[in-house]
Amino acid sequence: MAMRERSFLDAGEFHDEDWDVTTAASAGNSSVVLRTVGLSKRYGKRLALADLHLQVPAGRVYGFLGPNGAGKTTCISLILGLIAPSAGHVEMLGFDTRTHLSQALRRTGAILEGPAFYPNLSARDNLRVWGALSGGVEPARLDELLGTVGLGERGGDKVRNYSLGMKQRLALAGALLHDPELLLLDEPTNGLDPAGIREFRQLIRELGRSGKTVFVSSHLLNEVEQMCDEVAIIKDGRLITQGTVSELVQRSDVMEMRVTDVPAAMEVLRGLDWVGGVTHEDGRILVEGPRERAAELSRALAEQQIYLSELRAKESSLEDFFLEVTAQEGGRG
Amino acid sequence: MDSLLGAEILKTRKRWMPYVILLFLIVGTAVLIWLAGYLSWREETDPAFRRDALRIFAFPWSIPALLDAGQFWGAFVVGILAASSVGTEHGWGTVRQAIVRGQSRSKYLAIKLLGVTIMSAVILLIGLAVGVGFSFIASSLADQRITLDVPGGPSVPEIGLMVLRAGFAIVPYGMLAFCLGVLSRSTSLGVTGGLIFLFGEAIALAILTTIGGVAADARELAIGHNVAALLTANGIGEPPDLWVLAPRDRLLASELPNPNIAGFVLALWSFAFGAIAFYVFQHRDLKA
Repeated sequence: MAMRERSFLDAGEFHDEDWDVTTAASAGNSSVVLRTVGLSKRYGKRLALADLHLQVPAGRVYGFLGPNGAGKTTCISLILGLIAPSAGHVEMLGFDTRTHLSQALRRTGAILEGPAFYPNLSARDNLRVWGALSGGVEPARLDELLGTVGLGERGGDKVRNYSLGMKQRLALAGALLHDPELLLLDEPTNGLDPAGIREFRQLIRELGRSGKTVFVSSHLLNEVEQMCDEVAIIKDGRLITQGTVSELVQRSDVMEMRVTDVPAAMEVLRGLDWVGGVTHEDGRILVEGPRERAAELSRALAEQQIYLSELRAKESSLEDFFLEVTAQEGGRG
Repeated sequence: MDSLLGAEILKTRKRWMPYVILLFLIVGTAVLIWLAGYLSWREETDPAFRRDALRIFAFPWSIPALLDAGQFWGAFVVGILAASSVGTEHGWGTVRQAIVRGQSRSKYLAIKLLGVTIMSAVILLIGLAVGVGFSFIASSLADQRITLDVPGGPSVPEIGLMVLRAGFAIVPYGMLAFCLGVLSRSTSLGVTGGLIFLFGEAIALAILTTIGGVAADARELAIGHNVAALLTANGIGEPPDLWVLAPRDRLLASELPNPNIAGFVLALWSFAFGAIAFYVFQHRDLKA
């Protein structure tokens, strides 16, 4: 793997604001490395996953969102061949996993929900075992990865003495062991403290930048928004939507403002033919209209001796979008 | 070490269980050679009893005695190792981690089986070596000559064949525990199931022997009956009554199946248990 050797804890090298998901998305490779085709899983009468069609482009960080019990872990288990689908199939790294699962998995790294290790072995020995299962790795690689995830000093300790956060770090080292092209991470930040989550986010971004494809399931919407280029949202086993983060979290053409005279301002604003709607909420006025015309809006108010104390574009977040679409789906269901 | 088999052995040898099992076997051989053998011989005055006791601890009769007891306790400990090797991986969740690394399920299970076989063989051979060492010391203390040159005594290659027979007689029980471990995903259920079978079959065989006729003929298919055939073929001269440390048929060689046929029947059982384990593991959903 071309990743630089640095500590997972060394958070100083990367900055959140350096990253522009839209830039990354547009720069990414358009080939699809992971595709689920009508993937379904039924347990008795319960449909855990229904006709899921996902497409994960190469070189992207792809977020997989859904409420608890939505089917995220089931989906990842199906992709990894741990459980058999009731219908549909998976294509991964150009392989149809019905016939070439092993070949696909040898180029894939995964963190499963709830990291599992041999508790009687040290972290280094755990990686040795995983390395053997992955076709063998050099001892130097083990030390490099332990250092990368911030476990260099504790690599000789038995894993039974590790905290959940340390186990998650070790799980990440295990997933990266054989320098995979595709990473499937199921709730990888579980158990990490806020600093650990931030470091993890930075590492995922770096992996994305290095050309790896990362498929990460999470319920931490803010994290996903910050680290992913594209997302899919599922609920009750059904795909609600998928697309780039920027598409899904379209900056809504709503401006919010505070003014000296709210009733008069609302009257003026309603008189502008390019304004779609004007509402009043918590002392603020929300105006639907293109943000590029904010100056015209300001001038129109000033001409009527109404002055702005605040004017800004109202931005929605992935969380807003997620809650909106999952609530809609819930309402329909 | 960076091979699958090396990794499998690393996982086992870093656990405390194999060492406890080895200790258990060494204690067992000490009980057999010193308590049931040497001390009984020294304290008893009855010539027939002393003769039987001597045939437990004195070399080379101690070899079939150790192998007979070792087969029974070996079946028990190999069952623990086999069931544990799959049960704990399910319990820890590491089986899923292994499978997502691109190993085929059949290869994963085959390596596991090979690892158990090697670890079991090492433990049992160490136990046997310690037992033979005890036998040498006890024979010397009893002023018995340490030699293979006794009536019906085996040659060195024949001793190898005796060890192989006893080892092979352990395989079906190990495979049964392995199969039950895979089916139940649990060490304790695998071990318990194996134990119930071991003792339950011995009881069932005794009942079939008592009934006689067709019921007695049904024993030909039983594991324990065929194991008894293999172990009886290991005897040097007339076997002593005292090696009855294992609950098995004590029949004359003429009442037991031919050892070659017995070996074939045991192989069939082993294959059947293995096939069930592999089939179930291959087709099972591995959920968290």
